[in-house]
Amino acid sequence: MTPTDAPGHDVTTTLDFLLQEVDGLRTRWVAPRRLRVDLPAETLPALLELLKGRAGYVHLSAISCVDWPDDGQFELVYHTWSYELNVLVMAHIRIPRDPGVYLSIYDLYRPAAFFERDIHEMFGLWFEGSPDMGKFILTEWEGPPPMRKEFDGEAWVMEQFGWQEYRPEWLTEIEAKGGGISKRPEQLRGDKGEDGTA
Amino acid sequence: MTDLRTIPVVAAGEERPSGGQGNLLARVFDELTAFCRSRSLFMLHYCTGCGAVELPPAMTSRFDMERLGIQPMVTPRQADILLVTGYVSTKTLKRIILTYEQMNSPKYVIGICSCTVNGGMYWQSYATAKKLNDYLPVDMYIAGCMPRPEAVISGLRELIANIRAGRSDYWRDYYRRYDHYLGNQQRLFGENWQTPTDVIAEARHYGLFGPETLGEHTALLEQHQTPLQPFEMRLGLKQDKGSSS
Repeated sequence: MTPTDAPGHDVTTTLDFLLQEVDGLRTRWVAPRRLRVDLPAETLPALLELLKGRAGYVHLSAISCVDWPDDGQFELVYHTWSYELNVLVMAHIRIPRDPGVYLSIYDLYRPAAFFERDIHEMFGLWFEGSPDMGKFILTEWEGPPPMRKEFDGEAWVMEQFGWQEYRPEWLTEIEAKGGGISKRPEQLRGDKGEDGTA
Repeated sequence: MTDLRTIPVVAAGEERPSGGQGNLLARVFDELTAFCRSRSLFMLHYCTGCGAVELPPAMTSRFDMERLGIQPMVTPRQADILLVTGYVSTKTLKRIILTYEQMNSPKYVIGICSCTVNGGMYWQSYATAKKLNDYLPVDMYIAGCMPRPEAVISGLRELIANIRAGRSDYWRDYYRRYDHYLGNQQRLFGENWQTPTDVIAEARHYGLFGPETLGEHTALLEQHQTPLQPFEMRLGLKQDKGSSS
């Protein structure tokens, strides 16, 4: 690895040049040290291997997941960091929502087991080859994966817990003067429905 | 829909066998006990949420809780007050109940912050228990997000006054209406929920057995209840099953 802090050296060209070796990816510099890469799901392991082997991307910061119910897709974002280049590479892939199965990258990055287990719990995705897909944080949870968009948390709460009215005297005093809660939860829900997207 | 005012108030002293109408000395002794109790409270603060931030100033020199006789205590078995400071997730609630049942009576529960009242800003959250008084008898709520140390202290003073006057007796309610509390716990944790403490036997032992101690939920508990086993003591390191370097 060449020292990249040397004057005249441009990290962006190094990475851009390197990433030409993987087909079908689009790169965009969102900030001087943040590179966004969009690529088909099947080329992600190749990209990560390339980054890890040739550019010192030894650190997997996080895997994040976004649910796109209208597109019928899950978006997975792999955030990797190189301590030599000091550039964050975010690899975005989309996988179909219906089977919701993807490959584990545990063989490349050990911390992936942690993130994949978390995503499995919250979104219901299955990562083939991940060492443990058991319950993780929501050990008392029996319901559907709660971070999916179709999960109605509020309805769940209403069914499971009920609501406790809390109207202290000081609140009625404030409301008499025209203050208090400006937007009731019912109104909020109504607004959300009109937008169509939430 | 529950209203805070519908929490049943158990009239103090109604089942005290040595209530002592004739014996004046017993009254005096009861008064003395209540006074001593109210002036030396050990507080176990179960810091579940952000409300715990306000406790260090309330405890230390600025607001100085100790002048009221309130001290932090490290173990539940020696504590009088269980202070639940903030939102209670389902997972945490289990631990709170275990902690509460370990405490010696008389014990008092204080819910601090709006989250213990009705979920507060987490009212939509699937993982947060909304009403603490569904699962435990709560003696006092100190609402606010978060309540300032002044509010905490004023709440504690009120609790002291209640204890002094014999009004804070909700811990008896846990024994008397155990079926109600257990039912709510089972609703959240599933039917196999069981704590290491045998509350029913304790209720019998202390003469706090009420008509609502047993019910359909305790019947469910008895079906699967496993007798308590002493903890096996193991020394040495456990072999990690998935570790490889």
